[in-house]
Amino acid sequence: MEETLTYEAAYAELAAIAREIESETVSIDVLAQKVKRAHELIAFCQARLRSTEAEVTKIIVQMEKTEK
Amino acid sequence: MSVDPTIPSLRLSELTAAIDKTLKNTFEGRSWWVVADVTSHTHKTDKNYHHLDLVENDPVTRVMLARVHATAWGAGSRSIEQFQRVTGQRFTNNIRVLMNVSVQFHAVYGLSLQINQVDPNFTLGAMEQQRRATLDRLVAENPGFISRVGDGFRTFNHELTMRMVIQRIAIVSSASSAGWQDFCHTLQNNPHGYRFLCDDYFTLVQGEANAQQVVDRLVDIVESAVPYDAVVIIRGGGAQTDFLIFDSHQIGKAIARFPIPVITGIGHQKNETIADVMAHTATKTPTQAAERIIAHNRSFEERVNGFQKSIIIRSQQQLSAKLQKMSSLSSNVTRQTQSILFDRKRHLLTMATTLAAKPAILVANRQKDIKQTIANIRSFAALLLKSKQGYLNHQLAMVNALSPQNTLNRGFAIIKAAGRITSNPDDLNPGTEAEIILRNETIHTVVRSKSPYYGRDFNL
Repeated sequence: MEETLTYEAAYAELAAIAREIESETVSIDVLAQKVKRAHELIAFCQARLRSTEAEVTKIIVQMEKTEK
Repeated sequence: MSVDPTIPSLRLSELTAAIDKTLKNTFEGRSWWVVADVTSHTHKTDKNYHHLDLVENDPVTRVMLARVHATAWGAGSRSIEQFQRVTGQRFTNNIRVLMNVSVQFHAVYGLSLQINQVDPNFTLGAMEQQRRATLDRLVAENPGFISRVGDGFRTFNHELTMRMVIQRIAIVSSASSAGWQDFCHTLQNNPHGYRFLCDDYFTLVQGEANAQQVVDRLVDIVESAVPYDAVVIIRGGGAQTDFLIFDSHQIGKAIARFPIPVITGIGHQKNETIADVMAHTATKTPTQAAERIIAHNRSFEERVNGFQKSIIIRSQQQLSAKLQKMSSLSSNVTRQTQSILFDRKRHLLTMATTLAAKPAILVANRQKDIKQTIANIRSFAALLLKSKQGYLNHQLAMVNALSPQNTLNRGFAIIKAAGRITSNPDDLNPGTEAEIILRNETIHTVVRSKSPYYGRDFNL
């Protein structure tokens, strides 16, 4: 999962995939790929919503502050 | 030091008694409604005593025109409490109030005013006027950032798009206030398990004079360069007083122009403060601010989950449709193949059966033929023998029938001429001696005559 992925980007990509699948414009050849990607995006969003990454980042920021 | 007996004098207490008497004559039992500014205010909580100076300054020159010490206790103190409740304004220095006072004189403490009642409506009116003036000034001085829209306001901050998820939050609050605790508790213990990165920017959030501190904290937030999703300004949990800081021009301006969406949770039960009006999102309390943030994130997750559901359902539908098509195709193919195979098999079987049966039949036929032939041979042999026997018998019969004796017996006669049997009439001429043998006798004769014979005696 890319480091640079933001909620907005994830959401937009997810919405696009959902739209494609909804309108059945996805060929079966890439369906699995698309669903896998959607799954990743959903997992990313949910993980980030609940991630402890925030806490880690916070600690790092504080460490940097005290170093200065 | 001795007292000069030539100058008449009074003791001080006598003088103060005279002053007291004079003042009582004029002021006792009466009270006045006075407008004044509060200064040098102290409050003894244990006794609930207020001590303060009331002053009046010249509105233009700011020169002090009057200053009188004042006290409040009992009914006066209770009135001050009510005043604070109703106005949301702490009774403190630098506020202008309308109050009902009585004049007091004490020989030791001097002249003072006793506060009987403080009128909240006067202050409310003044505050509202002040608030309106501040709003007018904000609109006038910040074109492009603050504008009036109908009864409300549109600000730069209000127009900012909130990110889909609020996770990095800068909190402007007083250190460890009940409001701050409420906010953090609600946020961190959300039922969905969402995590947040909160940075605290502590400052005093009461007392109009501290407005600049709040603005400084907001500046710190921008300068931190942390990509905050939102800034939360909270207070509350304590006494429902002293919200005037949030009606300040400075804070209003800073919030309206702030580049990160501001969420307020000031805990003001009455009108919206100017900070609320200028902010992106205004909530009533710190807890509500936290709940709003959680709900914001929840709605994002619900949309994501919605996508998930529809993707699962749709792709399963698509897959099952394709699978169905596939399986129907495949079953067609299978059926066709099986049918072809079956046909071939049957054909083959028929052939095989035929092949298997034919030689046997052939052999059987041949055997039958042979048997027949044998039988034929047998019966023909018998027949042949019989027929030969018959033929022999016939021959025998013929022989018998043709025997001269039989012929003789049937009426024929043997003619002998010259001792030889003849059938030639030329051998018999008249006068020729002949023998006629008839049955078992020989007749001796001589030919008398002869004539041709044309009879039909033997024409059977």
